Amino acid sequence: MNTEPIWKSWFARHGAKLLLFARQQSRRPDEAEDLLQEAFVRIWRLYGHTGEVSPGLVYRAIRRLAIDWARSIDRRQIRENKVALDSPLSFCFERTLEQDERKQALLRAVERLPDQQKEVVTLKIWGELTFDEIARILDESLNTVASRYRYALQKLKDWVPEEMEGKKEDSSTAS
Amino acid sequence: MNEFEKLEAELKELRPLPPSEEFTSSLEIALGDAGKVAIRCLPDEDSLEQKKSARTMSAYPSKLLSFPRMVVFAGLTGLALAAVWAILLYFSSSLVPEIPVESNHSEPLLFVQSTDIESTIPISDDPDSPLHGLSLDQIQDISVMPVSGWLDPQINERLLRMVDEGIFQLPGGLPARRVRHYFMDETLWSHPASDTRILSTTPREEVILIELETY
Repeated sequence: MNTEPIWKSWFARHGAKLLLFARQQSRRPDEAEDLLQEAFVRIWRLYGHTGEVSPGLVYRAIRRLAIDWARSIDRRQIRENKVALDSPLSFCFERTLEQDERKQALLRAVERLPDQQKEVVTLKIWGELTFDEIARILDESLNTVASRYRYALQKLKDWVPEEMEGKKEDSSTAS
Repeated sequence: MNEFEKLEAELKELRPLPPSEEFTSSLEIALGDAGKVAIRCLPDEDSLEQKKSARTMSAYPSKLLSFPRMVVFAGLTGLALAAVWAILLYFSSSLVPEIPVESNHSEPLLFVQSTDIESTIPISDDPDSPLHGLSLDQIQDISVMPVSGWLDPQINERLLRMVDEGIFQLPGGLPARRVRHYFMDETLWSHPASDTRILSTTPREEVILIELETY
């Protein structure tokens, strides 16, 4: 009988969502994996013996570490890295959506969201967490989190047609 | 009806990219022993093979555990032990010369060992035999069990339970969590020709210390 560490199946289930969140939280694009690794190792060392760890703990650790790391980086460096950070969100998703114009417009609209709303959308949609869990991760009230989510969706609803129109205009000008 | 349901469904259709294999490997290294604390059992080829052999032996499904068979096996083992004991007794009595009891001896007795033992006792020098002095045939006769024809032993490690013993301080002053694993190692030898199986079980403990970082 072979044995397999439980963390592997756990990570196969939650790794993609956590990495997406880490990419949003990190100040540098190449920092996301380091951030996720550091957060995951810390949490698994503390609670991994139970065999099941709440993903919320890792999300929370990622966010706190990102804040700590950002404090230690020079402000000017953050500004410089911000340019690199503004890479398209579509690179964080599976490539099959390249053919779908609406999905690309959707992601461009998500990128335009303010950071606070973007993280709520990420945790709710792709992290599959409840508002209560999100509120605990972000240290915010339940109402604040729910409001941010609602505002974000309203913006996305308004912006997606704009993004699609903008893309059409771009392609027509190019031709 | 939520006005954003369609939008949410569209967003959920987008799948974030999974972490790369390289990243997962580096994560495994970074976790170290902490990654091995919680484990789950997976059926592998050995167990499948075991199940297969169990199926092929289904003609004798109850023989292995049936009471009459156990009695016969125990009897044969007892006979084999008695035979070995008798041989050892015979050898020991032949090797040690009898000392005549003479109560009125004033001089200390000089023990003289015979040097022509080899000429009197036939000692087999079979290179394949695991016991010195006994050939494979002799072992087979004595043990009443076949010597050749055994399959490779099947080794199985079973995790019985895992106990978290709490946090301890390491000699360096760092805190560490101590987790104790209880295993049962099983080895099964099979001899298909005689439908004989011997199962050996050995309990084992493993203690893992996981260093905790003070954050």
